[in-house]
Amino acid sequence: MENKEDFKTRLKIEKKRLEELTFKSENKRGLFLGNAFKLGTELVAAVVVGTIIGFILDNWFGTKPVLIIIFFLIGFAAGILNVVRTAKNMQKND
Amino acid sequence: MAANPMVQFNVYRVGPEIKFGNIDLSFTNSSLFMLISASIITLFLYLSTKNKRLVPGKIQLISELLYNFVAKMISDTAGSKAKPYFPFIFSLFVFILVCNMVGMLPYSFTVTSHIIVTLVMALFIFIAVTIIGFLKHGLKYLSIFVPSGVPVVLLPLITIIEIISYLSRPVSLSVRLFANMMAGHTMLKVFGGFVISLGLVGGWLPLSFSVALTGLEILVAFLQAYVFAILTCIYLNDALNLHH
Repeated sequence: MENKEDFKTRLKIEKKRLEELTFKSENKRGLFLGNAFKLGTELVAAVVVGTIIGFILDNWFGTKPVLIIIFFLIGFAAGILNVVRTAKNMQKND
Repeated sequence: MAANPMVQFNVYRVGPEIKFGNIDLSFTNSSLFMLISASIITLFLYLSTKNKRLVPGKIQLISELLYNFVAKMISDTAGSKAKPYFPFIFSLFVFILVCNMVGMLPYSFTVTSHIIVTLVMALFIFIAVTIIGFLKHGLKYLSIFVPSGVPVVLLPLITIIEIISYLSRPVSLSVRLFANMMAGHTMLKVFGGFVISLGLVGGWLPLSFSVALTGLEILVAFLQAYVFAILTCIYLNDALNLHH
């Protein structure tokens, strides 16, 4: 019986150590890299989507350069919104 | 060996040509490697759970770790309401992971380095999440486009911005995975080409870069599968737990 208890406590200690270890090395550094990629694409994607919508609407209404410019700017705003939101999420997780 | 670093991304027909009208449905190397990845996953999960034991063996341990990893990811980001979607997110994560890893083998083809593959996956997730949102909340789901506490004057502008932000989700999701995989594999090939052209005299430096880049690429392969899966969880969370 004593042996079993001993094994249990040792298992607990090892598990805790392992958790700390993996969290420190992999989770932190890996996540930073992932977050860096995430922020970049988040901004670009919104600009691209906004510009495409502006292009399509321009073709519909025949107002060639006007709507594409407006929607490019709105897309940029949406991109900033995306980035801020992602950064907020990142801070919450820390 | 082709010197052009982009040749590795060519899609070509394997086996007979199959055509339905104007649509080419032939079996390509891309489909072949998808099939290989799916078979690896199925075989691995079957073998690792065939002789289930209370104290797991090495191979059973790996599949249990994988299961726990995805289960924890879902419960951390999307909560307990997302439990029914576990099979989908698990398959998605493991499929992308194995596709990326198979792509790291020499002479193989990286399925996820084509935007059409990642875009289809991202669009499927986007449409599914939107449908789930409307099914769970009805028309109230539209309130994610209208943040609270905004002056009435700014409301139309903010709503348009929110809609574009929402529509940009599948684009950013698919472009991220595709761009990372394609850039990484192109870079590996370019450095490999340097080793050959510089020969025994100067080839050692690019060779050491190549080794380091291979390590980085394996990290990126895992990371991108993880990011894809966790963003799916986050979008699912937005649809399941409406709180804006």
